[in-house]
Amino acid sequence: MSTVDNQPEALEFLQGTLEVLILRSLQAASNHAYGISQFLEHQSRYEFAVDNGSLYPALQRLLQRRWIAAHWKKTPNGRRAKYYRLTPLGRRQLLAEKSKWMRFVEAMSRVLAPQR
Amino acid sequence: MREWWSKISRALHFRRGLDDDLSDEMHAHLELITDENIARGMTPDDARAAARRHFGNLTHARENAREAWQFPRFETILRDIRYGLRGIRKSTGFSLVVILTLGLGIGANTAIFSVVYSVLLRPLPYPHGERLVRLGESTAQASGIAVTWINFQHWRADNTAFEDMAAIMGADLSLTGRGDAVVVDARLVTNSAFRLTRMTPMLGRLFTDADDKPGAAPVAILTPEFWQRRLGGDPSVIGQSLELDGTSYEIIGVLNPGRKFLWRSAEVYLPLGRAQNPAQKRSEHGSIRGLGLLKPGKTATEAKANLDAIMQRLALSDAGPEDDHRSYVGYLAEDVTGGELRTTLLTLMGAVGLVLLIACANVASLLLVRSTARTREIAVRVAIGAARPRLARQLLTENLVLAAIAGALGLLLAAWCLRTLILIGPHNIPRLTDATLDLPVLLFATAISILVGLLAGLAPVLNAGKVDLITALKEGSPTAGTGKRGQGFRNVLVIAEVAITLVLAFASGLLTRSLITAENVNPGFDPHYLLTIELQLPGSRYKSDDSVRHYYGQLSQSLRSEPGVQDVGLVTAPPGAGDRGDYWYSILEKPTPLRDDVPLALFNFADANYFRVARIRVIAGRVFTEGDRAGTTPVTVINENLARRAFAEPQLALGKHLKVGGPYVDGPALEIVGVVANTSQESLDAEKAPMFYYAFWQNPHRFMVVMARTQGDPAQWMNAARRRVSEVDRNIPILSLQTAEDWLGVTLDGRRFATLLLGLFGGLAIVLASVGIYGVLNYWVSARQREIAIRLAIGAPRSSILRWAGLHAARLAALGVVLGLIGARIAARWLQSLVFGVNAHSLVMMLIAGAAVIAIAAIAASLPVWRAMHTDPVRNLHEA
Repeated sequence: MSTVDNQPEALEFLQGTLEVLILRSLQAASNHAYGISQFLEHQSRYEFAVDNGSLYPALQRLLQRRWIAAHWKKTPNGRRAKYYRLTPLGRRQLLAEKSKWMRFVEAMSRVLAPQR
Repeated sequence: MREWWSKISRALHFRRGLDDDLSDEMHAHLELITDENIARGMTPDDARAAARRHFGNLTHARENAREAWQFPRFETILRDIRYGLRGIRKSTGFSLVVILTLGLGIGANTAIFSVVYSVLLRPLPYPHGERLVRLGESTAQASGIAVTWINFQHWRADNTAFEDMAAIMGADLSLTGRGDAVVVDARLVTNSAFRLTRMTPMLGRLFTDADDKPGAAPVAILTPEFWQRRLGGDPSVIGQSLELDGTSYEIIGVLNPGRKFLWRSAEVYLPLGRAQNPAQKRSEHGSIRGLGLLKPGKTATEAKANLDAIMQRLALSDAGPEDDHRSYVGYLAEDVTGGELRTTLLTLMGAVGLVLLIACANVASLLLVRSTARTREIAVRVAIGAARPRLARQLLTENLVLAAIAGALGLLLAAWCLRTLILIGPHNIPRLTDATLDLPVLLFATAISILVGLLAGLAPVLNAGKVDLITALKEGSPTAGTGKRGQGFRNVLVIAEVAITLVLAFASGLLTRSLITAENVNPGFDPHYLLTIELQLPGSRYKSDDSVRHYYGQLSQSLRSEPGVQDVGLVTAPPGAGDRGDYWYSILEKPTPLRDDVPLALFNFADANYFRVARIRVIAGRVFTEGDRAGTTPVTVINENLARRAFAEPQLALGKHLKVGGPYVDGPALEIVGVVANTSQESLDAEKAPMFYYAFWQNPHRFMVVMARTQGDPAQWMNAARRRVSEVDRNIPILSLQTAEDWLGVTLDGRRFATLLLGLFGGLAIVLASVGIYGVLNYWVSARQREIAIRLAIGAPRSSILRWAGLHAARLAALGVVLGLIGARIAARWLQSLVFGVNAHSLVMMLIAGAAVIAIAAIAASLPVWRAMHTDPVRNLHEA
C-alpha cells in the first residue's frame, strides 16, 4: 500500500514482534493508533512499515490480554481519538518480552555476523 | 482463558458497541492524517484522499480487528453457510442439477456400501466372534467335510487350543399331531452351542449334560418365532409335548428373541448327544458340523495342528478306513464371506464408486463454469478488500453446503434403494436382510459427501485464488475471463469420464453376456411343464424299505391318474437342487487308484420313469427298468461326464462295475447299465459334475422329489398335487411344491442380481458421462463463439469449423478410449472369476464397449459442434 515505488522494501514484522513494539511505544506515554504507527516508523528509521490491517488486530489482542487499556481523549489540536496506555500487567509483560527479544537479537547476530 | 472470557462477554454484550467503536477509532485515525496533510499545505479534498491512501484498506483492517474478538472459525463458517444457501436459492436450476447428480451418486454408493458392510464387514454378532471357528474334517481332496461324532468327542476332550467346542447338525423333521403335518427346521446341538452363541432362555431352561446323553428323555427347546407362530405364544408351553418324526419331545424352554444362530434360523433345538449311538465307528459320517471358540491368542493354524495331532494318534489307536483324515479349522467370519460373493460385492462397490467419480467430474465442470461466470463478482470482492484465503474458504463452504444437501438426498435415496435391494436380492446371501442405514453406513455417507464436496469444488476454489483483477474488471463483456483458464482441467474431466464409462460398459457387457450364456445353457433335460413335489418320509413312520417303496409307488400311481398329468418319475436331486451328496467311486475293471487319487462324484437316486419324464437323453445302454427290483443285480446309470472320465467311450462303460466308496471304503459294486446326458445339478453357470444314479427300487430313499410332466402350465396342478399327497398319507409334509424351471431359475439369482446392478451402474455412467461431455463441449463452443464468428466473417468455410470443433472432441474421446481400454484390461483380471462362457479378456467385448462409448461421445458432442458450425457471424458480432 505504499505510495512511493522506488523505496527499499519495508521489513515485515516477525510473528509476535508487533505486539512487543506496541507495548514499548506506550512505555513513556499513552498514544493513539496513528501515533503508535508514527512512533514505530520513526524509531525504526522507516525500516518498519506499519500496516493498519495488522496494527488494529494487534491492539485488540493486547486489549483482550489486559496488557493495555483504552479511553477516548482530546488530542493536542482538539480532535477526539482513542488513546491506549500500558496497564501494570502490560508493563511487567514488556519487561519480560524485552529481555527475551534482546537475547534473541543478540543470538541472531552472533550467528549471522560472528565477531571473532 | 482470560481471552476466552473476554471474547464471550464481548460477544454477549458489546458486539455492537465494539463495531461502532472501531469505526469511530479508524475515522479519527483518518482525520489525524488529514489534519497533518492540510498542515503540509494540501487542499482538504486532496488531504482526505491522501489520508485514505495512506491508511490502506479500511474494510480489511476492520474485519481483521473484529476477528480478534470473534470465534472466527465458527462465526465465519455460519456466515459462509448462510451465504452458500443464499447462492443456492438464487440459482435454483444449477443447484438442483448439482444436488441431483451428487445425490444419485452418494445414494447408490451408500446403499451398496451398507450391503457390503452388512455382508462382509460387520463383526459377527457373537461375543468373541473373531475367535469363533468352523470345524470339520479334511481329506486330500476336500476340506471342511462333516466330522464324525466319535472324532468330535475326542477333539473336545483332548484339545489344548479351544476354550469351548460345539457340534451342530441340521435336520428337517415333520411335526405331527398339531393340524396338518409340517416340516420343522430342527437343529441338533450339543448344549455348548448355546454358550458359544450366548443364547439364553426366555422361558424354562437350556439343555444340561444329562439331556445330552444317549438314552436321555427326549427334550426340545423352541425359538421364539416358532413358539409364536406354531404354538400361539402359549406361556404354559413348558412341559407340553411336541411330536417330531413320531417321537414325542418334552418342551423344556423357549429362547430369548433377537439372537440368530449362525445366519440360518432354526425353529427347534434338540440335544445332539442323545441321538448318537455311542458304538459308532470313527468313519461313520452324519452331517455334523463343529463350532469352536479359540483360546485367546491361539490362531486357527495352531488349533488345526492341535486337532491333527489328535487325529494322527487316533489313526494308531483306533485304525479304520479314514486314517488319512485330518481336521479343518476356518474362521467363521471368513468362512461365510469368501469367494465369489466377496468378488461380486466388491465389484459392485467399485462400479458404483466409479459412477460417483463421473458424477463428481460433472459437478466439478459445472462449478468451474459457474466460478468463471462469477469471476467479476470475485474480482470486485477482492478489490474491496476480501482476503484471498477467506474467499477460497467461502467458495469451499458453498460447495460443502451443496454436498451436504446432496448427501441428505442421497441418504433418502439409499434407504429406498436398500429396501429394493433386499427385496430383489438373492436369498442365499447371508446377512443381506440385516443391511440397514446404521452408524457405520451413516459415517460412510458423511465421509463421501465431504469428499465429494472437496473433490468437485477443488478446481473452482484453486481457480479463485488466481483471479486476475485488472483483466477481470476491465473487460467489459459479461463473459470476461472465460478464456482458456480451466479448459485444460475440463478436457481432463472429459477424458476421465470417457475412460471410466468404457470400463463400466465393458464390465456390465461381460456380465450380461455371461448371464445370457448361462440362461441358454442346455440343462440336459426339458424343464418345461414339470411339476416337482419335494417330500421327506419321517423315519419313525416309514421304517422299512418296503414301506418307503410302497408309499412312493402309491403316490406315483395316484398322481398319474390325475387328468392332465402325463407321466410321473422320482428323483432325489432334480437339476438345480445343488450338491445333495457326493462320494468316492472307482471302476473295478480299471487299475486301483492311489489313496489320494480316488475320484469323487455326485450321487442321486432315480426310478425307472425319471429319465423319461425329465427327457434326459440316453447316450448308451439303458436306464432303469421295472426289472431292477430288490434282489436283482445292483445296477447304476452314470452320466456322460463320469463315463468320459473313466472310459474313452461311453459305450465302453456298459457292463463294467462302479465301486461306491472307492477301493478303500466299504460300499456296494454296481453294474453300469447305461450312460445318460449330463444335467445341471449345481447351477446353470457351473460345470456339470460327474454323477451316478442308484436305482430307487433297489435302494429306496425317504427323501424324494416327485416329478410330474403336465399338459400345460404345471402351476395348475399344484392344488391337485397337494390333495393327492394328503390322500395317500396326511402326516407327510410337503417340503416344496414348484416347477422344474423354478429349481433352475434360482441358481442364477445371484448372477442376475449382480448383472442387473452392474448394468444399472453402467447405464447411469453413460447418462452422466454424456451429459458431462455435452456440457464441457458446449462450454468450449460458447467460449469461442466470438472467435468462430470472426473466422466465418473473414471467409472461413463452415466445414473448417466442423473440422476444428470435431477434431477437438475426437481428440478427447480418443485419449479417453485408450485410457479406458487399459482400465478394462485391468478390470478383466478382477472380473475373471465372475464371467461365465466368455473370455474375460475378450477383445471383442472391449471393442464393443469402446465403440459404444465413442458413439455416446459422438452423440453428446454433435449438438455443441452443430452449434459451433451454425454460428451466425452477423448477429454474434453485432451483439458484442
